[in-house]
Amino acid sequence: MTRFEDELKNALQLQEAPDGFADRVLARTAGQAPRPLRSTWRDSLWNVFAQPLLRWAAVAAVSVALVAGGIHYRNVQRERAQGEAAKEQLLLALRIAGSKLQLAKAKVDQINSDPTNFSQTENQQERE
Amino acid sequence: MAEPVPAEAGVAADAVPVDFAEIVRRHQSMVFSIALHFLADPPAAEELAQDVFMQLHANLSSLKSPEHVKFWLRRVTSHRCIDHLRRSRLPQVSLEDVPESGVLEFSPALQPADPFLARRLQQLVASLPGKARMIVILRYQEDLSPEDIAEILAMPVATVKSHLQRSLGMLREKVVRTMGEKRSEK
Repeated sequence: MTRFEDELKNALQLQEAPDGFADRVLARTAGQAPRPLRSTWRDSLWNVFAQPLLRWAAVAAVSVALVAGGIHYRNVQRERAQGEAAKEQLLLALRIAGSKLQLAKAKVDQINSDPTNFSQTENQQERE
Repeated sequence: MAEPVPAEAGVAADAVPVDFAEIVRRHQSMVFSIALHFLADPPAAEELAQDVFMQLHANLSSLKSPEHVKFWLRRVTSHRCIDHLRRSRLPQVSLEDVPESGVLEFSPALQPADPFLARRLQQLVASLPGKARMIVILRYQEDLSPEDIAEILAMPVATVKSHLQRSLGMLREKVVRTMGEKRSEK
């Protein structure tokens, strides 16, 4: 800091407030109560859980909820897996049935398209 | 219109203890002194300082720590001073137009080490444009860094530094001229 800045600092040194300043301010505020501390939802929540009993009850409730949620989730997963397996089995059965039907249809078509086979079968039926 | 107080978020457990009287007693001289150096008018400075504390009283719940209170007070006082100057619509006197003799009367309460030079400097500072004046006051009364001043006045640090440099140059030149004339008179 230069000498000039020191002089400036000296010239701008802190000035004491006039006598009775604080009293005059307080007198002005006397008829005006300070705004109450704004309580946020976080404060309210914290105040509720500040009591030990409530805190433990909350911990227990959260634990029970977590366990119940876990069991429910496992059941849902198991049911879903069973459903998937049943669906696979059904699809397989349908595929097998479909292929058998295709085979049968092919045989029928083959018989119908061959007239000798048809007449032989007719003669055989007549002889019987 | 008073400078609006910046909205503060997150008020709660860390809010400053509501001992308003203690806060007033602790910071009254700082607030009054900033206003006095800026306005060069003790009654106006006291009125402005009282208004600052009334505003603090209404916003006490939004302040988080003693440091925050101090920052808030400096900020609101600075803005109110600049606002007061703007509202008063007094013609701005250029530093070059400030008379060499003590036409601008300052508070007799000020009794610095070198009364003549100090009073001259007070007059010259009080004749600076609003923002430059407040920057000089915050720098040399409150001993704040340009970064702190920039935060209080919500302006870039480079602007604060530029104002400071320019104001110091003008003040120095004016003082040197005055002192030279004074010595030649003797």
